[in-house]
Amino acid sequence: MRPLPLLRPRPAACLQLVALIAVLSSPAVAQERFRRTPPLADSQPHELSLPALERITLPNGLAVAVANRPGSPLVTLQLVIKAGEADSPPDLPAVAALTARMIGKGTKLLSADYFENMLESMGADFSVTVLMDYTVLTLHVLEESLDRALYALRLMVLEPAFSERELVAVRRTAYWELVERKKNPEFLGWRQLLRTLFETTPYRTATYPEDVIKYITAKDVAAFYARFYRPGNSAFLVSGNINGDTAARKVSLHFSTWAPQPVERAPMPPPAPNTRDRICYVADPSAKDATIFAGNVIMDASDEDFFPFLVLKQVLGGTTQSRLFMNLRESKGYAYYAFSETEFFRTCGVFWARARVTPETIFPAVREIEREIRSLATEPAVPAEIEEAKSYLIGNLPARFESLEGFAEWMARVVALDLDLGHWDRMPERLKLVNVERAGAAAQRYLAAKPLVVIVGRPDWLLPYLGEFGTVEVYDTTGMLKETVRKGEVR
Amino acid sequence: MGMTTVARSLLVLACLVLSPAINLAGQDARTTGLGFEFQEYRLRNGLRVILSEDGSLPLVTVVVAYGAGTIREEPGQEGLAYLLENLMFQGSENVSPLQHVGFVQKVGGELNATTTLDKSLFYETLPSNYLALALWLESDRMKSLAITAAAIERTRSDILREHQARLLSDPYLESFARFDSLLFPDFAYGHPLIGSGSELDDITDENVLSFHQKFYVPTNAVLCIVGDIEPAKTRDLIARYFDSIPPGYDVSMPPPPAFRQDGEVVQVLPGVPTASVGFHFGYRFYPLQTGDAPAVRILEYILLKGQTSRLRNRLLRRDLTAHHLSGGLEDRRGVLALKVFSLNNNAVMVQRAQKAVASEFERLRTNAVSADELAKAKQQFKMDYVRRLSTRLGRALFLIDAAFSGRSLDLLRAELEACLKVSPAALTSLANRHVVPRNKVVLELEQR
Repeated sequence: MRPLPLLRPRPAACLQLVALIAVLSSPAVAQERFRRTPPLADSQPHELSLPALERITLPNGLAVAVANRPGSPLVTLQLVIKAGEADSPPDLPAVAALTARMIGKGTKLLSADYFENMLESMGADFSVTVLMDYTVLTLHVLEESLDRALYALRLMVLEPAFSERELVAVRRTAYWELVERKKNPEFLGWRQLLRTLFETTPYRTATYPEDVIKYITAKDVAAFYARFYRPGNSAFLVSGNINGDTAARKVSLHFSTWAPQPVERAPMPPPAPNTRDRICYVADPSAKDATIFAGNVIMDASDEDFFPFLVLKQVLGGTTQSRLFMNLRESKGYAYYAFSETEFFRTCGVFWARARVTPETIFPAVREIEREIRSLATEPAVPAEIEEAKSYLIGNLPARFESLEGFAEWMARVVALDLDLGHWDRMPERLKLVNVERAGAAAQRYLAAKPLVVIVGRPDWLLPYLGEFGTVEVYDTTGMLKETVRKGEVR
Repeated sequence: MGMTTVARSLLVLACLVLSPAINLAGQDARTTGLGFEFQEYRLRNGLRVILSEDGSLPLVTVVVAYGAGTIREEPGQEGLAYLLENLMFQGSENVSPLQHVGFVQKVGGELNATTTLDKSLFYETLPSNYLALALWLESDRMKSLAITAAAIERTRSDILREHQARLLSDPYLESFARFDSLLFPDFAYGHPLIGSGSELDDITDENVLSFHQKFYVPTNAVLCIVGDIEPAKTRDLIARYFDSIPPGYDVSMPPPPAFRQDGEVVQVLPGVPTASVGFHFGYRFYPLQTGDAPAVRILEYILLKGQTSRLRNRLLRRDLTAHHLSGGLEDRRGVLALKVFSLNNNAVMVQRAQKAVASEFERLRTNAVSADELAKAKQQFKMDYVRRLSTRLGRALFLIDAAFSGRSLDLLRAELEACLKVSPAALTSLANRHVVPRNKVVLELEQR
């Protein structure tokens, strides 16, 4: 064998070799082992720090709350009226929604078109949100348009004309929007859940079918406005690059003439939670899959169980890593998705699990959801689950406050429901205090009872399960009870 | 005289050991003039990095965009770019399938991905103390994506199932794809994200691997981080996770399209399974002269944005010929088009509405837009522009878009100002050059 020639080292080759060694031993390659495991979080996280809510009350009783957000070129103005869908009289459901929609539809002197043009000329984005307990009129504008926006809002809110002509158009839009929403089985399920849970309370008023909209008159709207659109029943919220004094002065300039008048409202006791086996089936002939809701009445947002319950909700079905999703979709293969949610009103809250499943798995999916809910009450979540849920909730808070809409929505909720600062900038601290014991106690209080179950699906999908479920109330898509089917009965 | 071998070696050594990254324009923060600053540089492997600091919330958005959009697909490969986007969640060397989502969600983060004409992009918004986690995840899939035959098959069938479900729930979906192919009559620019589905079935594992090796490489990617970061520390983290990833080969963009259309194109799409009839209507604005792009952007607002815009006002309020109207500006790598989609109650209304849309475009050729109307359009444009930048994700996507379109990040403010300076004469000139039959496309929908 011919020996390999010995190579005489050359300076350039040496340097190239050194360069190669340098590359191979550089941090980049040496750090490859760090790729094997996820890096730890920065040991000193920056805490969420929200601007203080500066609060001032004008002489006419209008509360003004200001959140100074330096550097923001946009200002958000919100008028919160502490009257929502649940404040519509029982014989006039939807009047709260139509009243809010009529704001901006003209004054005695200026037309609806005038306001639309005026707002669009500012580049403003005006929206109306009517919730169960309150209504929010929101105007996002460029900072340079603030004064004009306040002027426009004053005219729109303080001098509405409520013309029958405009109401016709508003009624038509509201009617068709509701018809459109009914095509969504999630909406049908959610509405039936609230309607049944709240069947003995004024909150039921909020779950109206579209037909009631036709009967609201301009006189009804004017009466609702006169009763609830009062400064003492309202709050004006400003967020943007503006301090409290300046904002209060500007709001006062436009809204100090708003005539005060006491607003009387009967106290609304919280409804009792569901405690018995109850299945509501919404027969939707156009359903493509079955949608399941299982939920119950819980505490209001000011209750000490509020934060522990948020953590429980997260454990149950907050994300695709939570129990419901992992079980119903990943393990059993019943569901396309499965999550849990909460909503809070003035005197109570509601939680629900929701899943979309294949028609042939309706029964096992319902039983599995019920089991998952019950198990949180009978076998407390383990510490790792609780900590993971807290990590998500705390970590997700800044993202919820980041957008204009998210910030404004949260601010309106805190003010409208008279929540303490624990719901504003102290939420991380409150969440950190939740432990296994507190979560377990909340679960026993609110998850031990039988949840109400609502299923949305085609009429014929129910038949195979009649022998499985005890009693099933069958509703149509307007929420009308069509029949009650009991186990063993022939249809 | 050229550099000696020794000197070249010394330079290589110095570059490798001393300089972890190449600056595009210095390390100093530069301003966009839009209320935020940025830094921009390249790693040795060609990865372009854009950083923008915003400490107002303890939040950070990380976006990695690859020049791997539908424009990279060959005929018969429709859906390949989207398949790759989905495969990016199927695991890499140190992250098992779907674990990426779990890691981000566990810390309260949010994530998503999307594919457009020119790029596929992946993003996470999460608490800023988890920046390293996002970089670890993104670098792992950039470096060592696990593309297996099983993962391809699983992803392909998921996409096809979702696509079928979408086609069933949206009877107009196919018509949009058909209209785009007429409005952008060039395969690279005009084909949809997913074709009929059969192309996706025919894509081989080799096609997938080849697409990935060619386009999912640092030289063809941009990393943008916006939020609560310390730039120096962030640069170190980026170097740690991305610097050792092999660069890949340079890839060039397909040539600009050359559309051939002699007169207006009017076609009928029969058999649409819906209760409403309707039509798609569009004008292409290409090639553009200086000042045209800002004018088209403002024109979009005059015609289609807001309830008082010309087309909405005329069709939905004055004439009542349509019960649905949507549309807007589409920018496909500099090929601009204004698109309108109208749904109508019957064939007579289709014709009336179509005539009205055509006449509103025609009117721009002869009648100057009033100062008030123009001011309103500009103010709405400005509001949307500013609003888009109000979140970290919005800002990151804005910077990524600018980087991919080849625009200088230093001139972004000038772009906004150019739009706010558009004159009535510029709009008239634009309309006279582009609102012509060779740029007009109509697709009527006929009920089944």
